[in-house]
Amino acid sequence: MSATSHGVGCGVVLGIVIVIFLQQVAYLDLSDLVPALEYLVIGAVVGGLLGAGIGWLLGRSYLSRHPTGETAAPK
Amino acid sequence: MRLNRVGPGHRSLSVALVAFCVVALLVSVPIPGKATASLQPSAVQPAATSTYAVTWNGVDVSTAGTSSSALAIDFSQSANLNFTWSGTSAPVTISDARLQMYYFGFAVSTRDQIVSNPPTNSIGHIPLSWTPLSINYLLEGVYRLTASFIAPNGTTMYSENFYVRGNAPLGFVAVIPIVLLLIVVYELYGLVRSGRYAAFGRKSAGPPPSSPPPTSETETPAGESPPPEEPGAGTPPPSGGGS
Repeated sequence: MSATSHGVGCGVVLGIVIVIFLQQVAYLDLSDLVPALEYLVIGAVVGGLLGAGIGWLLGRSYLSRHPTGETAAPK
Repeated sequence: MRLNRVGPGHRSLSVALVAFCVVALLVSVPIPGKATASLQPSAVQPAATSTYAVTWNGVDVSTAGTSSSALAIDFSQSANLNFTWSGTSAPVTISDARLQMYYFGFAVSTRDQIVSNPPTNSIGHIPLSWTPLSINYLLEGVYRLTASFIAPNGTTMYSENFYVRGNAPLGFVAVIPIVLLLIVVYELYGLVRSGRYAAFGRKSAGPPPSSPPPTSETETPAGESPPPEEPGAGTPPPSGGGS
């Protein structure tokens, strides 16, 4: 598992959970199924994209600070 | 990183697929006017001359037709509803006053006030008391409720949608918000630490690890591998079969 894919996983879960949490604090209405599913899908996609970007950046930062694995030739 | 092994064709294909999904989702988002219009009308229109009304602790629920104008309630307190009808052109028979609370399109709570031997009148009322103790420590937030007048044959004579904003006891003691907050904190921690997985990706991209280097005799502790030349010097004798 790479840093990007791990960031995608965390971001998708965060996007879904934040949508449900916003309903619990009365910022969203999830009473009906169709807009609720749309909110969840949008939250998952946006969270996944943001998580992928954050994971990729953090992975690059980590590799720059910990230059291990010199056998893998960078392109 | 592992993505370095993916070819440019696969990468562009995946980027195009993600972009297509995002655009499709954004196009399918309903406009606000369309979304609110679908929530406003009641499920069943009343007769032209009839008047049905539902009050929540004396407040007409028709004033809470949108989520922004939701009635602020406390889930730990009981609510007294009054289902009234008057001025119907023909006498009607209402045998059931139903209150349903919806979450993700499903009724998470249903309260019925069934009238035995309901009279047929053009004017009447059915009181209903609802104490949502079962969801008191579980939920909070804005929910849609539906108040329905049910005829003896099961026909919905009239129904009205309205919104309530339920507050948890002490303002925050509800299970779902606390669990969601814990999940958010855990996933944020995982996201912050996701950079460490880049090292795993680089290791998997490299050749398999070679055999461990041979250990020198100076590094090996003396007690772990006794020299074969002195079998009886440092080791205890075999116990044999004696008890």
